[in-house]
Amino acid sequence: MLIIRRISTNRWWHKKKTWILFAVFLFLAFVRISKGSLYKDFYYFISKPFWPGQFQKEIVLESIDQEYLIKLNLLKKDNLRLRRILSLQESSNNDNMSAAVISRKTGSWWRQIILNKGSKDGVEIGDIVIGPGGLLGRVRDTSLLTSSVTLITSPESKLGVWVDRIQTNGLLVGLGDDNPTLILYSKDADIKMGDFISSSPASTLLPPNIPIGIIQSIDETLKSKKTAKISLLANPQVIDWVQILKVNI
Amino acid sequence: MGANFESEYLMNKFFSKKLSIISFIFIPIIFLWNPNWLGFFGAQPYWPLIWLLPWSMIYGSINGLIFGLFLGLILDSLTLDDTFTQIPGLILCGFLFGRIRIHSDILVGHFRYGLICSFGSFLCGALNFFQIFLKNFSDLNDLILIPSVKNILTEVFLTGFFAPFICSQLLRMFKFSKGKL
Repeated sequence: MLIIRRISTNRWWHKKKTWILFAVFLFLAFVRISKGSLYKDFYYFISKPFWPGQFQKEIVLESIDQEYLIKLNLLKKDNLRLRRILSLQESSNNDNMSAAVISRKTGSWWRQIILNKGSKDGVEIGDIVIGPGGLLGRVRDTSLLTSSVTLITSPESKLGVWVDRIQTNGLLVGLGDDNPTLILYSKDADIKMGDFISSSPASTLLPPNIPIGIIQSIDETLKSKKTAKISLLANPQVIDWVQILKVNI
Repeated sequence: MGANFESEYLMNKFFSKKLSIISFIFIPIIFLWNPNWLGFFGAQPYWPLIWLLPWSMIYGSINGLIFGLFLGLILDSLTLDDTFTQIPGLILCGFLFGRIRIHSDILVGHFRYGLICSFGSFLCGALNFFQIFLKNFSDLNDLILIPSVKNILTEVFLTGFFAPFICSQLLRMFKFSKGKL
């Protein structure tokens, strides 16, 4: 009996070490098949504290901002040069003026803001008012110290706009709510949600290429025209400071 | 010293007598101020009605009609819209409010102000809407309907909500300045 027991303990499969080595082999085989995904995930956790931090992120974002700014200035210069060659309308950037909003009626029937710059400061009827994001409205009335601006959400406002993606002109009308409506007098106009709207190069009221908004929803129920609700880029409800642009049209 | 007292007394008397007229000046100011924290969906209570109701109830229909016209003229000059005027609504409300008698029960009277002002706000809103509707008769009828209804309803709600608080105080003030209290 004793001899038999001794032989059996000597078999290789009875050795614990063998099984451990086998398990290691299986594990490594799995790692190989999974192309080291476990290692990589493990590395993810242990290297996490040493990742490029917030500081690095700020540097990168700042560089990107600077890059965009330089690109924007180059494009603006290009645009100006080409517009001059083609004798198209241009807005002068030298006559901008900052103004604070001292009264704001952005709900109900009246959609207007009153600014703290008036005819004394050189504001004139028809000047364009933009806020962070884009167009807000046009100066409708001036007093010595203030100017009143009709917002593009007002039922009084009707502007020519440009749908950039499909290169089409449309009419932007305020209806007394926060989203003005774009009217395209063609049923075939291929507008989509998310299309960008800017002031029309053909407009006699606005300088071209002022950002206005994005198409939020499209209504195709009308027979002869297509309408779309526009989400404005500049939010007149919260803006406290605006820019008044002199228009040379 | 005596002269000082006398001038102070005269000034107090002047202010207490003219309190109602002085409060009139604040209507355009609050209309322009348009505090966002009092708003709902961007709309505000229709402030002129909240002043016009106690005024007309105390001074009568003709006075209400005249001051409705004055308010309309001032507010129209402050707003840029040429499509509609607030004058017809305010004149009508001033005249109608003048025919309402002050209720003996304070509590009932209190809530009645809210109801009357809501009705007035609806009337003014509807008149504004019809003016815009007629002006844009050709092209925008379908599009303008829903925002207008929303505007009317929010204004009706807000005016009705704030009127009980403010109207009762204004009524006391006007009574006091008229010497009824």
